[in-house]
Amino acid sequence: MSDADDFPGYREPTLSILRRFDTPVWSDIRAHTTRGLFEGLILPRAETADEAHISLKLVSGYNVGLRHDTIESIEKVGYRPADYRVPEEEFPFDPDKPRVILFGTGGTIASRLDYRTGAVIPAFSPGELYGSVPELADVCNLVTEKLFGVFSENIDAGHWKILAERCGQAIEDGYQGIVIGHGTDTMHHTAAALTYMVADSPIPIVLVGSQRSSDRPSSDAAQSLINASSVAAHGDIAEVLVCMFGPTSERYNLLHRGTRVRKMHSSFRSTFRTLGDVPLAMIEKGKIDPIKHDYVRRDPTRTPDVQPYFEDKTTLLYYYPNMQPDILHALIDNGYKGIILAGTGLGHVNSIQFEALERARDEGVQVYMTLQTLWGFVQMYVYETGREILERGVVPLANMLPEVAYVKLGWALGRWPNEPEKVREFMTTPVHSDMTAGEPVEGYLVFQGGVPEVQDFLKTIWS
Amino acid sequence: MSRKKKPILTASPPAPIDLNPRTDPPLDFPDRELDAMRPADYAELGFLCGLEVHQQLLTEGKLFCRCRAGQRSSRVDMEVLRHMRPTLSEMGEYDGTALMEFKTRKDVVYQIDRTTVCTYEIDDTPPFPIDSQSVRIALEISRLFGLNLVSELHVMRKQYLDGSIPTGFQRTALVGLGGVLPFQGSELGEREIRIRQLSIEEDSCREVSDLGHRVVFRPDRLGTPLVETVTEPDLLTPLDVARGGRLIADVARASGKVRRGSGAARQDVNVSIAGSRRVELKGVPHHRGLPLLVHNEAFRHLNLLRIRVELLRRGVEPVALAFDPAYSALESPLVLDAASIARTASYRPVRAAIDRGDAVWAVRMIGFAGLLAHRTQTGRTFAHEIAERVRVIACLTTTPFLINSDEHELVGGTWSELRKALRADGGDAIVLVWGPEADVDTAACEILIRGADALVGVPSETRQPHADGTTGFERILPGPERMYPDTDMPAIPVQDEWIEEIEVRLAEHPWEREDRYVRMGLSARAARVLGGARWAFLFDAMEPSTPACARRTAAALEKRLVHWWRESGTGELPAAERLAPLARAVDEGRVRAEAFERAFDRLLREPDATPAAIVSDFAASDHDAADFERAVSELERDAPAARHGDEALLHWAMGRVMPVFLGRLDPASVRARLHDALKCEEPV
Ligand SMILES: [Zn+2]
Repeated sequence: MSDADDFPGYREPTLSILRRFDTPVWSDIRAHTTRGLFEGLILPRAETADEAHISLKLVSGYNVGLRHDTIESIEKVGYRPADYRVPEEEFPFDPDKPRVILFGTGGTIASRLDYRTGAVIPAFSPGELYGSVPELADVCNLVTEKLFGVFSENIDAGHWKILAERCGQAIEDGYQGIVIGHGTDTMHHTAAALTYMVADSPIPIVLVGSQRSSDRPSSDAAQSLINASSVAAHGDIAEVLVCMFGPTSERYNLLHRGTRVRKMHSSFRSTFRTLGDVPLAMIEKGKIDPIKHDYVRRDPTRTPDVQPYFEDKTTLLYYYPNMQPDILHALIDNGYKGIILAGTGLGHVNSIQFEALERARDEGVQVYMTLQTLWGFVQMYVYETGREILERGVVPLANMLPEVAYVKLGWALGRWPNEPEKVREFMTTPVHSDMTAGEPVEGYLVFQGGVPEVQDFLKTIWS
Repeated sequence: MSRKKKPILTASPPAPIDLNPRTDPPLDFPDRELDAMRPADYAELGFLCGLEVHQQLLTEGKLFCRCRAGQRSSRVDMEVLRHMRPTLSEMGEYDGTALMEFKTRKDVVYQIDRTTVCTYEIDDTPPFPIDSQSVRIALEISRLFGLNLVSELHVMRKQYLDGSIPTGFQRTALVGLGGVLPFQGSELGEREIRIRQLSIEEDSCREVSDLGHRVVFRPDRLGTPLVETVTEPDLLTPLDVARGGRLIADVARASGKVRRGSGAARQDVNVSIAGSRRVELKGVPHHRGLPLLVHNEAFRHLNLLRIRVELLRRGVEPVALAFDPAYSALESPLVLDAASIARTASYRPVRAAIDRGDAVWAVRMIGFAGLLAHRTQTGRTFAHEIAERVRVIACLTTTPFLINSDEHELVGGTWSELRKALRADGGDAIVLVWGPEADVDTAACEILIRGADALVGVPSETRQPHADGTTGFERILPGPERMYPDTDMPAIPVQDEWIEEIEVRLAEHPWEREDRYVRMGLSARAARVLGGARWAFLFDAMEPSTPACARRTAAALEKRLVHWWRESGTGELPAAERLAPLARAVDEGRVRAEAFERAFDRLLREPDATPAAIVSDFAASDHDAADFERAVSELERDAPAARHGDEALLHWAMGRVMPVFLGRLDPASVRARLHDALKCEEPV
């Protein structure tokens, strides 16, 4: 027994010790140490953990670490290898319920926990999902398809294209709704990408994820998954949507338009917010209450237009004071075809960029202006700097969110690689409210805690 | 009706560690009161008891966030609503507790005072690094228990789905294990208590209310670091349970780094007898009530085992009470919608329920006739066991919500009609239960499950202690599968320097401390009180060196501090530097011991006066003799003419003189001099 696979996660000096006593991972052992006797099961060592300790699960369920230099001897008293199995139960079929397809991209929407290692084993087949979120059977007939298994941060344009094509296929196959399980970090990027890549969808395309993984009892996954499936199966909004928690309380989800939504907190459940507008709808226990009514209605007769394109030489540049123009020059040198600037205030960068901007214009690199304030409109006529930037060919994008503008430009450059005018025209044309004519007065709500009137308000709504 | 399928959730079986090693219950042992029992009687019962003692640590901050520890507030700035879902275990089974909490479908509400928590407590931010002060205290207390220390702490998640922790799990890490504590105070003679383990964990929320489907918590105390000390089942009599609990609390307190006061220390008590299995009495706040609680619990076990044997004698088998949990309980032939029959009973609570539109169902319990009325605890019957479980799991709130054919009369032959409809015979019992339909469905299932559990004897449960010494169902006992690693936290190596540092200045054990106090001249009682008191360090810092001074110091700390706290409204301990000069003065004979209390009081009450000034007011001086002679002549002059006996006269004279010369002159010689001066005739 000396195969490295028998000692997952162990490095020197612990590896030699385990080899010497012939105690691979999953051995039941009695370890005599300078700190006393320890009995338990040897666990795989987490890759992020150090090399000095052996992980042991005690009968009480607790794990502890034994340091290599405390170990005097190890007796092996048994061997209990792990057996990862996901319990499965047949997803009940109801001919009266709509058919919904769930695409998996890598994040775990539902999962089972391995109690010994703490490993989260994703539950994904309809049967596995039914085993952990049985309420789904009350909503729809669910079919699942795992497209890829990547973390949210590794999702790229290649994945967007595949997703778009699979959405088109699912629509053709007659599904009444599409749900996409997605990590939350880049969910809003994917939502924007699908908005442009799958035009005229006749059915809802709903992205969903969780801020608290489903191996935790307090997870937001089950509620969001049930609500997202309801929207896909029964909702009337045939757009690309993000369906995530409204408040941090487990009460209702909000439906956000894929072009106006952004993740705003690293860990809160209520992290997704519609910016510069109000969300499309609330959804509680499967019941949808529209807030806006100007959405595209479900229409099975509509034919989708799937255009899976993306220009990788597109970038999003976040401006900061003292930014040197060599960055812009480097982008041009490296063949970038499109640049979204996230400017300050009403849409500004410092004047030392002017020469680089002129060069971009002259070399056919398209440059657009968005706002790092996230809320509000680009308005470059107010100040001299703005006018000077405009003169150098930078195109303002109203209240389009920087990330959305990046995705839109990448898609447009991919779609019309040799037609800059078409790209410019598309960029400045509102699509699914990625730019709006104005901002509703309650489109910007960032309250400050501690202010008495806000505390009074919180007392009412957080109760 | 439609066969609506419910999710099937099956619970895993109890762990073997929870079974009492003896399997032969002494069924003929008579039910007796606590004071009629001798240690040998508990041995005959096979009584075993272990403790899990929780003590909050005296730290600045909480364990996994930087909020202040030890807070308590009833202010509500906002509320957060959550629900808890069980997570599947390794084998596709759910932990029994998890399952139960899922059935209760409760809204969990957290009432938040924004100054006591951050986003960690409401589970909207991952944990911050573990508080290292807490880890060191836990290591130190582990060493006081003589435990082997682990070399790397692994933070685990222990599932709690009752809502008491917003994450649904408690973060906890094992610090030490495998120790032995000398148990000198045992009523069974000199023994030992084996300590299984000590872990460090975050405290849970305080429960505010739990009514129907809504349970309310306050997270102020949540996250406060605490240590949980678990003993082996080595406590063999109720008295020893209380004494053992006190000993463990004292050992942890010896560190001087645990919190005191209400809620700062609580214990869970594990009880079993021969033939039964571990039942956990949860959160007992005092040691005083422990003996009666565990005594009653032992006899509850015995009576449940008697019910089991009678059921077996009647030939009742678990299969007779089985039903398919995937469907409504009404699909079982043992359950009946009884609204139309019960309507005729003119029993007011049932009629009111029907008027409200509640469901009224009847459940047939095969072979249970007479057993529902079997006594289990003082004033409680087996029917209570069923009712409690139904109340907790099915969340029925309107009382009463069930009656049974053993204990209740219903006019108009209702029971016999129900019997007929359920095809029940005289050997069966009928339970009638009412409430909202979904809850009654859960209730009917739970009645059948509790019935089937009667064949096991004593179900593994956690139970709530009541003030009268009885206990009530709280939840199903969780198994080891509710524990899994916390992927949010890295492992924490225990550094050798920490351990060396701890070993060097390890606190005395309480018994060592008591011995030292006795050697200093205190009585055994005073030494015990002082050893367990939070002012013990003040005594040590005052450094009394003569027995007389030590006794005065201990007595003043024990009696005058409390007095001062009551007077001033504070609970603070005074600074040792302020009190030490007094002990020194008494030890050196500059102040006589009789003045100790008076001077001590003034040191507390006159914060603006320097200790030296106060002490000198009581110090003997060269003028004392002359001053005293002058005072004596004044007394001779002022002495009342009418005599009511020497004793009264002396009392009057001492009262005049002693306040002035307290601490400066020996009261006995003052008395002798006055005796002579006032021409008393009775001998001194
Ligand atoms: Zn906090």
